Amino acid sequence: MSDNRLDVDTLVVGGGIAGMQASLDLADQGYQVALVERDPSIGGKMIGLSKVFPTLDCCSCITTPKMAAVAHHDNIPLLTYSEVESVASNKNGFVAQVLRKPRYVQEEDCTGCRSCELVCPIDLPDDENEFGRTSHRVIYVPFTTAVPQTALIDLDHCIYCGKCIKACPPDAIDFTQQPEHLEIEAKTIVLATGYEVTPYDAKKEYGAGKLGNVIDALMMERLLAPTGPYGRVLRPSDGKQPDSIAYVQCAGSRDLTLGVSYCSRVCCMYAIKQAMLLSGALPMADITIYYMDIRTFGKGYEQFYQNAKTMGIEFVKGKVARITEDENQNPVVRVELIDENSRVAERTHDLVVLSVGMLPGWNPQATFGVPVAEAGFIQIPDCNVSPTVTTQPGIYATGTAAGPMDIVDTIMTAGAAAAEAAAYMQNHKEQEPAVPEAAPAMRDKRSTVHA
Amino acid sequence: MSYRADPDLLLEIQKYGAADIAACFNCGNCTAVCPLSTEDETFPRRVIRLAQLGVWKELLGSKELWTCYYCGECTATCPREADPGEFMAAARRYAIASYDRLGLAKVLYTSPVLSVIFLVLLAALTALFMYTSHGSMPTDSLRLFEFIPAHVIHDLGIAGFVIVALAGILGAVNMAIQVGRANGLSRDGVRHNWLGALWETIAVEVLGQTRYRQECETEEERPSWYLQKWFIHASMMWGFLGLFAATGLDWILDIVGVKATGTWVPIWYPVRLLGTVAGLFLLYGTSVAIVRRLRKADEPSTHSFLSDWLFLVLLWISTVSGFALEIAIYLPQAPVWGYWMLLFHVAVVADLLLLAPFTKFAHAFYRTVALYVQALKPVPAAELAAAASAD
Repeated sequence: MSDNRLDVDTLVVGGGIAGMQASLDLADQGYQVALVERDPSIGGKMIGLSKVFPTLDCCSCITTPKMAAVAHHDNIPLLTYSEVESVASNKNGFVAQVLRKPRYVQEEDCTGCRSCELVCPIDLPDDENEFGRTSHRVIYVPFTTAVPQTALIDLDHCIYCGKCIKACPPDAIDFTQQPEHLEIEAKTIVLATGYEVTPYDAKKEYGAGKLGNVIDALMMERLLAPTGPYGRVLRPSDGKQPDSIAYVQCAGSRDLTLGVSYCSRVCCMYAIKQAMLLSGALPMADITIYYMDIRTFGKGYEQFYQNAKTMGIEFVKGKVARITEDENQNPVVRVELIDENSRVAERTHDLVVLSVGMLPGWNPQATFGVPVAEAGFIQIPDCNVSPTVTTQPGIYATGTAAGPMDIVDTIMTAGAAAAEAAAYMQNHKEQEPAVPEAAPAMRDKRSTVHA
Repeated sequence: MSYRADPDLLLEIQKYGAADIAACFNCGNCTAVCPLSTEDETFPRRVIRLAQLGVWKELLGSKELWTCYYCGECTATCPREADPGEFMAAARRYAIASYDRLGLAKVLYTSPVLSVIFLVLLAALTALFMYTSHGSMPTDSLRLFEFIPAHVIHDLGIAGFVIVALAGILGAVNMAIQVGRANGLSRDGVRHNWLGALWETIAVEVLGQTRYRQECETEEERPSWYLQKWFIHASMMWGFLGLFAATGLDWILDIVGVKATGTWVPIWYPVRLLGTVAGLFLLYGTSVAIVRRLRKADEPSTHSFLSDWLFLVLLWISTVSGFALEIAIYLPQAPVWGYWMLLFHVAVVADLLLLAPFTKFAHAFYRTVALYVQALKPVPAAELAAAASAD
């Protein structure tokens, strides 16, 4: 096997919780799994979240061990900062062309000591992880618990001062790095490409992103997370601690004016969860959730909702039609108070959180030949019987790539996709030539982790 | 309190438009986005809910049906694309048909073929009736009333006016009772503020179009004043009322002996001038409204029901034929077509006026009644009872 070729059993696309879980479930059975992640670190959306519902367990505490397990697994060559460019079928399965984007830092040499960050003179807003609320250097390790702990350089903003080169103890910095191409041959593919949220500036009635104190729920996750930008909850416009926080439900789901007809399933629960966490972070704050329907469908979810009501979180039935702001940049929501004789009220809060919905993250049609269904999520022809099986034999979908779902269901479908892939490989064993001897682990060369 | 529900009410209203309202899941977006909704005036969701529940009595008694001016903001932002604005329009059509006990409105609204036949027949009969008493067609100057005697048109007009007034009053009283009852309007409540409410209704709301003008222009960039919805509507209304006043004044001048009907007057003669200016307003309003409906220029112009077209087109034809008549009068050589134009004009106006209580025209009565009830600010029955027991 040459440097730019890799033979594995399964190619997993996407290193969020779905992709990591599917990789681990397959690797633990002895299959070789190549995990390709577009970003410089695995962890996906989940590593940025605060707590999970309905148990209020810490998200990092669940995700970080999985990230480490993936990185250290002998059967998982991990390819971060890489993208699948094209896929072809052959008699053994699939051949994928993967682009490895240059970090300008040698992955095998970098120890993640961050000496380079200390000397780099340029600060950039951290748009990737913190919505621009904090900054990172031009050379940076993506975030504290990133896997791998390898720095990368944003060459567009680099002034080539060379300070990092002098500061780097293992001499890992390499400005001459070029994009590399890697060919991965795999018998099966698991798509775990995740979701994006409805852009919080999509709705002009909600200020189109121009109101200073209207944020979306993912931003609130960061404000609530222990690793967040301020370490406490402050509103963006003036850094004031909000005394009155409102959630606007269905701000991107069940709304045909945004082209989203479906329920995103998670927003009711994450709003209730955030409201509970806010009650802890800001005990004196008034928290209101404006909703059309509260949907608490999972195990323990309804009790979670009832607990929130008992805690004093105000639930108001009525879809917020408009958000404006007063002279102090306090958001004002206009809503029909359906349970209060239908009167229309304009209520002022310090901070408004849009409970944005889930949109398909990526369309795999062009690359993988896997069609998407009407809403843009991967089409699952028989979703009741085999919820991870796509129209393409040997290609499986897991997590939110296949439709809106919460973390519990995502982990479940990751296991299901791994099981489907394993069964497929068992069934197709006889027709294939002998499996080559255990492939040399790719991570030895490129993905050394120094955690 | 008991309610009577008709499970087919929604299907019945759908005959008058509003195909998608069953999609509504009552989120309240429409009410909250409505610029006219306030603490105690809330629509359209409540009205939609009444229709979904099938409680027709409450629906017909809801003044909110008529205080909506259809800006279309609810339709533009409805998360279900259920088109609440058009539902309100359809429910108003249903209400007009329901307030009319003769059943003519229902036929005119729901059967395009029958209503066109009816309109043509009525116009033809009117023209025929006038033609039976026709005289000569002098060509030295256009002396219309030598062709058709003035008294024939006057008598026809007065007879028509009586019929219209009777049917209109019947419908309006019918509606006022229902709306008054549903809104807890008491005799004391009316006595308390009847004059102030009348001023508020007629001067501020109907003639001044105040809320329509101030609240209902919802486009991000307001168009020039002469293209705003309220002005187009107001030009039609002012134009119609102006022509109505000019006709009435002309008749009064005849009675008091100042000017016999049919006497040639110059264009600057006050009554003629009033009629001409009013006609120009009416021509402008109807023309722009027709163009907007053809182009589907905004939400309210997108759905055009048969009744919308009939009303607008009849108004427009009346106006244009009226101007043709005026031109004929001022031509140096009297054209023969002028006499036929008179027959045509009167026949179309007869269609318009005789059918007013049964067509979209009826909104003029019903909206006024609803605005009056609103201006009276009725106290809900429960509060009245509470106040009485406190005394």
